[in-house]
Amino acid sequence: MKGTNLFLKIFTILVFLFLYSPIIVMVVFSFNESKSIGVFTNFSLRWYEKVINNPEVWKALFNSFWVGAVVTIVSLILGLMMAMAVTRYNFSGKSILESLILIPVIIPEIAEALSLLIMYIFLNIPLGPVTVIIGHVAFCISYVTIVMRARMAGYDRSIEEAARTLGANEFQTFFKITLPTLYPAILAAGLLAFTLSFDDLIKTLFTTGPGFKTLPLVVWSSAARGGVSPELNSLSSFALSISFLFAVFRLRVERRLER
Amino acid sequence: MSDVFSVELENIVKRFGNVVAVDHVNLKIRENEFFSLLGPSGCGKTTTLRIIAGLEEPDEGVVRIYGEDVTDVPTHKRNIGMVFQHLALFPHMNVFENIAFGLKMRKVQKEEIKKRVKEILEIVKLEGLEYRRVNQLSGGQQQRVALARALVIEPEVLLLDEPLGALDLKIRQHMMVELKNIQRKVKTTFIYVTHDQTEAMTMSDRIAIMKDGKIQQVGTPLEIYYRPSNTFVASFIGEAVNLIEGEVVENGLVDTSLGTIHCAGSLTKGRVAVMVRPEMVEIGDKLYNVDNLFRGTVQSIIFKGSYIEYRVDVEGNTFVIHKHGSAELGRLHHLGDIVEIGWKKNSSIIIPI
Repeated sequence: MKGTNLFLKIFTILVFLFLYSPIIVMVVFSFNESKSIGVFTNFSLRWYEKVINNPEVWKALFNSFWVGAVVTIVSLILGLMMAMAVTRYNFSGKSILESLILIPVIIPEIAEALSLLIMYIFLNIPLGPVTVIIGHVAFCISYVTIVMRARMAGYDRSIEEAARTLGANEFQTFFKITLPTLYPAILAAGLLAFTLSFDDLIKTLFTTGPGFKTLPLVVWSSAARGGVSPELNSLSSFALSISFLFAVFRLRVERRLER
Repeated sequence: MSDVFSVELENIVKRFGNVVAVDHVNLKIRENEFFSLLGPSGCGKTTTLRIIAGLEEPDEGVVRIYGEDVTDVPTHKRNIGMVFQHLALFPHMNVFENIAFGLKMRKVQKEEIKKRVKEILEIVKLEGLEYRRVNQLSGGQQQRVALARALVIEPEVLLLDEPLGALDLKIRQHMMVELKNIQRKVKTTFIYVTHDQTEAMTMSDRIAIMKDGKIQQVGTPLEIYYRPSNTFVASFIGEAVNLIEGEVVENGLVDTSLGTIHCAGSLTKGRVAVMVRPEMVEIGDKLYNVDNLFRGTVQSIIFKGSYIEYRVDVEGNTFVIHKHGSAELGRLHHLGDIVEIGWKKNSSIIIPI
């Protein structure tokens, strides 16, 4: 028994090492003074300085944030509506709709991205922030719907009826009762949508127009341009820490939601 | 008794698919009455209540509140209060906010809201708990919040959908008395849906018994218990009942397989059932002063505390007898004893089949 326990422990540690050691190496070497990425010489923040002094990074970060915000709001509204439709009403084609909403989660992102690009070209839509946002919403809405639907399945509608008997019309009921009681789920779904949009590379790469870059795109293009460099390490670590913060925040919200 | 009707239902029909949940229901509920809709689950009582609230739309019929046709008036514009089965308190609000919600919707002034919430909290005995979260309250307290929330808007009618179902027996018994007191204090019509006859009997001025979407009988608890209008009501109400089928031969005389039974006078003719409540039947070695007398064998004896329940077999018919005050243990009957059972003619009621 004890032997099994030890084996399990070692195995678990190995799995986590496998998962996280590349990230650890990246983060560690982002603090490396030397230009070489093979040997760690001295601790230094010079690469971070370079990243911070690079206006392209700030612009991309700003782009990532506002694209993420718009995507979050739009996919929250659409996803909430979708979740309400499938949990509250019966209509023909409901089961087809429920399967369709899962497709963006299942199919390869590259196929989705390419098909979007083809559609944009076909419809003659100029590429830029709008096409990026549409692309992000197209898959974030699925995640939002899935999170919201799970939450709403167990929703006791009698509190809405109670509000109606107390004199609230349908709008007042929705904004004063339904939305506030769904608030933790909305927050969790919104943070998920934001993180997905913030981290997305492939869709953005395919659907963005000239000059419009998000943070992952800057990381990608600098890697494509100059190969792996300490500067790229610190840039990636920078992007990573932002995503990490959002992920932690989301997990905390979800944990509160479970309670 | 008031001649003003607070709620009138006229020929209400509600279908769900092929099921007729409410089948031509007619009711006139008086002002300030404690009125119960009683019936087994699935009898349409909750649907009827929801139709009064406007939460369900009837397929046919008219709903009136104080004479006004509200059939097409949406819930939030009907001046009703409702207490839900699972209470449906707003989880994101504290006690005060829950109770104040209806007043806010009515755009009542802030000071006035404070005053009225305070008053209603006194009536339901929840003073000092205004700022508690509702999930920090006990079941009984949550019950009172739900009641206060519905009453504070001073509704013309208060609808209650099995509100005591989730409480344990002791608190439930306590709340029954409390509810009745509150109803007397606030002077509002209460329409109470329940499947529990004790609740209905304890609190109601009148009861409507429902089965399969139809009203079986409307009457006071006493009427329903002692003068049931059909055999369903007779067996649904009360712990047990003795029913013997027969044919009316003369006013008050019914010919049965056990012989002629003397009954209270009735206009009913033809095939009937004779009902005798278990506590009206006497049991003894030798009985006098009874109009109907039979001899039988004691089949079972169950001690129930304040009374003893005997089952006595008379020529293949089992009679249930509740004998109260049997403190003299020596006079108990035993299994297999041959005993006499009997009752006065006014205790047997003729019910049409």
